[in-house]
Order: sequence, then structure tokens, then C-alpha cells
Amino acid sequence: MAAITVRGLVKEFDGLRAVDNLDLTIERGEVYGLLGPNGAGKTTVIRILVGLIKPTSGDARVLDRPAGEKELAKRTGYMPQEIALYDTLTVEENLDLFANLYEMERGRIEQRKLEVLRFVALEDRRDSIVYQLSGGMRHRASLAVALLHEPELLFLDEPTVGVDPELRAGFWENFGRLKTSGKTVIITTHYMDEARHCDRVGLMHRGRLVAEGPPEEVVARAGARDLEEAFLKLASTGAGKLPAAKADGGVRP
Amino acid sequence: MRARRVLAVTRRVFRGFKHDRRAVGLLLFAPILAMTVFGIAFAGNITNISVIIINDDVGVAPAPNATPVKLSERFISNISTDVLDIERMSDMDRAVQKVRDGKSWAVIQLPSDFSAAVRSSTPTNITIRADKSNQQVYVAIQKALRDGADRMLSSGGFRMPISINDTDAVYGKEAEFSDFLIPGVITFAIFLLTTLLTMLTFTTERVNRTLDRLLATPATEVEIVLGYALAFGIIGTFQAIILVSYGVVAFHILIEGSLLLAFLITALLATTSQALGILLSSASRTEAQAVQMIPLIVLPAFLLSGIFWPLEAMPSWLRPFSYALPPTYAAQGLRSIMIRGWGIDRVWPQLLAIVVFLALFLALASVSLRRRR
Repeated sequence: MAAITVRGLVKEFDGLRAVDNLDLTIERGEVYGLLGPNGAGKTTVIRILVGLIKPTSGDARVLDRPAGEKELAKRTGYMPQEIALYDTLTVEENLDLFANLYEMERGRIEQRKLEVLRFVALEDRRDSIVYQLSGGMRHRASLAVALLHEPELLFLDEPTVGVDPELRAGFWENFGRLKTSGKTVIITTHYMDEARHCDRVGLMHRGRLVAEGPPEEVVARAGARDLEEAFLKLASTGAGKLPAAKADGGVRP
Repeated sequence: MRARRVLAVTRRVFRGFKHDRRAVGLLLFAPILAMTVFGIAFAGNITNISVIIINDDVGVAPAPNATPVKLSERFISNISTDVLDIERMSDMDRAVQKVRDGKSWAVIQLPSDFSAAVRSSTPTNITIRADKSNQQVYVAIQKALRDGADRMLSSGGFRMPISINDTDAVYGKEAEFSDFLIPGVITFAIFLLTTLLTMLTFTTERVNRTLDRLLATPATEVEIVLGYALAFGIIGTFQAIILVSYGVVAFHILIEGSLLLAFLITALLATTSQALGILLSSASRTEAQAVQMIPLIVLPAFLLSGIFWPLEAMPSWLRPFSYALPPTYAAQGLRSIMIRGWGIDRVWPQLLAIVVFLALFLALASVSLRRRR
């Protein structure tokens, strides 16, 4: 039984096609990287899967239920691209809020807060107000919130943007540990080199998947040296003209 | 719906204030500041209007060959010196020039036959050459003169054919203008601050994507809106308690009716306002856009809801708009409770109107949170 099944998914914003007839299957227990430049449609796909927006057409299923169903919320975790924490609250107060919104067992909350704070190495910052934290710490706090209620399936939208290289390596180590504890992790990123840590990657370009498979396989199939070169090759043959790989100005709902 | 999730949202609003002193200042001190400014600047009566009196009265002799008595002086001494600062002049042209120069508001000329006319009860005219550019000042001058004339005549033993006795008022026997004004100030301060604060808070929720995060949890839109409603209902009640206490201490406002009922109306108004704030936030994509919407809230509330002027002062075609604004009912309700001493048996229409607005705005606010496209 797949964690994610997407068939013929289309999403248009004011006539602009952000997701174009996308098919996607993600198995349980894998770390899947959705790659592509800004504006490729990655975030839109995640927002549809989380249930924040509705697709224009097509079908999206998450853990065998229609995407966006409220019953799914308890089983999934979501880390938006933005920090998305209450910055006048402390780290712990943010965690408390979400523990209650997810209706976690009260006896379990204290223990679980410690676990996730240790996981992201913020044990000593639980009483810091979020706006006093550095950018990297905020990212980690944001990840801690997404992990708190022990979801089976995690959506991490660009979790490593603005995170320094050392910390980024730590993040990927964390994602690997999640996988070993049986979780499914879906990560979007436009840092191609990071994607080698994933079990499988899907290269998105202009709302479509232009290649998919284990990273080394995708590289080999394209006859490239690395994922970045593979992407450039595939994008130019598969979908016509290629925008600058890291240019901004993507479609944001 | 789960109470735990509703309360979690409520608690998060209060915890946010704990670390955000500025917002607390806005909520607690801004209403007091508003009441102080309005209470002092507007609630007082108009005083110290400078006027010029030219007394041409030749007087009348009580007996043949006796010294003439000027009854006009008795009239002048009966004019309230609190309201009018009287300067005496004799030259009309120079007096009028002073009014032209903006140094005086009016020239009041008493005719030469003033005493004679009073004595024989024949009509005569007092001439006023006034600067009528400020109607309120002019009305105050007229009233001061009329009151002075009444006092002179009654103290002089003259019988007035008709007098108006209004000492036994139905309501507001001891009411002053400030008693009318302060329920309006409470309504205005709470409506405005709550709407603005929730609108800005919610725009930030949208911009920072914390709203996305909330909506990705099991919490429903209704639970989120109710969590906020509870928080701002509590805050609104606190504001009302502070404002009313301050009004009693500083401005000696009248409270004829039930304070609890007044607090209930205020809490309902605050909750309605926060739902409106959430609703309005959906029209802004950035905080800057939200700030631009502020005049859209302030102006109609200030001008149309009968907070500072009676609704009767508005043209009839505009009044339906007044009745489409929640503060209209809150101000009416608070006035009826505080000045008339009405109970729930008589202010229920206002209470019901606010509850209807509350239900409508809560429903619309919940819908506005629902995933948009």
C-alpha cells in the first residue's frame, strides 16, 4: 500500500498551470525527494497533499484516504517552507500549542517535547522566545513542531533553505533516522546535491515529473555527472526551454 | 468540535500577549487614553466665549424726577459669566470690527427702550451681530442670553406667560453630555481596537503561514475562530471593566442600570469585532494592505453608528447603513442601561441584534479560513 498516490493532478492559478497532469507514487518507509527549481510546482503539490488547497482536477490520495481529509491530519506532519511558528511565544509554548491541537495524550507530552528538542539539538533553548533565536535554530524548532505528534508521514517543504552546511548535514542525518523508525518522509528541495541522501527522487519541471528513480540511477540514465547536470539535460529535452535553475518567481498560492 | 483545541488557541493568544508588551499596552491603555481625550475635550460645556455688550438703554425712572433705573444692568448681571466673557463697549463700528478680526464672537446691542419695554411689557429687540461660523458657539450665546432674561424677569417679580418646566425628567435627570458620550467612547474604543488587533494578528497568521500550520492539524476552522472569539471576549470584558471603572472615578458617569448587563454587551461587541477582524484579514495579503483597511473600519464606525451624534442627525437614506453596524446597537444598549437604567427586558432588541451579528460574522470568518482556491 503506497503512502502517496497521485493521478493526473492539475492545479491552475489564474490560468497559470503550476501542476500539469502529475502522476506520482511514493511507497511507505521511503525518503522521497521532490526536486526542481523554484516555481517547478513542488510546494503546490505538497499544499494539495496536506489539504491546504484543492486541485483543479485529478486525484490525490494520502495513506489511502483522499488528500485533505481531517482524519489524516493526526497521521501526517507538515513543515511549511516558512518558519511558521508564533514568534512571540517560546519554543516550548509553540510545542504545547500543537500538542493540544493534535490532542496528544497528556502524560506523553512532556516526554515527547524532550525527545523532539533533543532530536533537533535545542534542549537548552526551550524557554527562548522564537524571535530571539537564530535563523537556523528557528528552522530546527519548526522541524521539532512537525515531528512532535509522531506522524507516520512527514511533508517537509524546503527544510534546508537558509540553513548552513553543517546544520544541513545534521538535518539529513535526522531524516535518515526518521526513515529507520519506519516513517515516510517527503522532502522538497532545490539543492540538487542534497538529494543524494534520498531513496528516490522525482525531478519536477514546469509542473511535470521529468525523471524519477534512485538518485544514482537518474544520473546514470541521463548520462550526467551529477543530479544538477542530469536535471539540466532532462529539462531541456523533456520540457523545452529551461528557466534558470535557481531563478525565483515561481507560482505561490 | 473539541474544547481542548479551542482552549489551546485561546491560550496561545494570551501567551502571545505575555511576551508582547506593546499589544497589551494597546489593549489596556489605548481605551483609557481615548476616554481621557474624549472625556476632557468633548464632554465639557462651552465656556468663556468672549462677547461685547453695547448697552444703549436709557433706563426708566421709577417716579417722576427720580433717577432713571437701568433694568438692562440687571439683565446683564444675570447672564452666566462662566459661559460668556463680557466686554462693554459703546461704539458699534469698533465692536463689529473686533468680531471681524476674530477677537470676539458677537456684539449684543441692548436698545434704548429696554427698561421701558420691560416695565410696560411691550416688545423690543436685542440686536446680535454675531460670528456664526461656529454654530455650537452661537447656540451657546443664545442660550446664555435667554437664560439671563428668564432669571432677570423671574427675580424681578415679572410673570412669564409661558414657562417650560423640565426639572422632572423621565430619564437622565442628572445626565450631562459626558454621560451621553462615555457609552459611545466605550463602544468605539472596544470595537475599533478589537477589530484592528484581530485583523492585524490574523494577517500575520496568514503571512507567516502559521495559519497553514494550524489548518494542517486536526483543528477545524470553526475551532480556530472560536478559540480567538473566546480570547477576545475575555479581553473585551476586561477592557469594559477598566473603562467603566475609570469613567466612574474620573468623570463621575451615571450608572443607573446593571453593570453586568453592560459588561455582557461589551463582551459580545468585542467578540463580534474580532470575528469581523478575521473576516477583513482575508482581504489583505500583507500587513501593509491590512493597515490600509483601517480607515474603512474607523470612518463608518465613527460617523454612522450614533456613537458621538444621535442617529436622528443623519439623513434618513443614510440610516439603514447605521443599522448595519454592530456598534450602533452596542452604543444604544449601553446608553439605555447606563443612563435610563433599563434591564434586559427592555434592551433585549439591541442584545439580540449584536448576537445575530456575532453568529453571522463567526460563520463568515470560519468560511473565510477554509482553503481558498
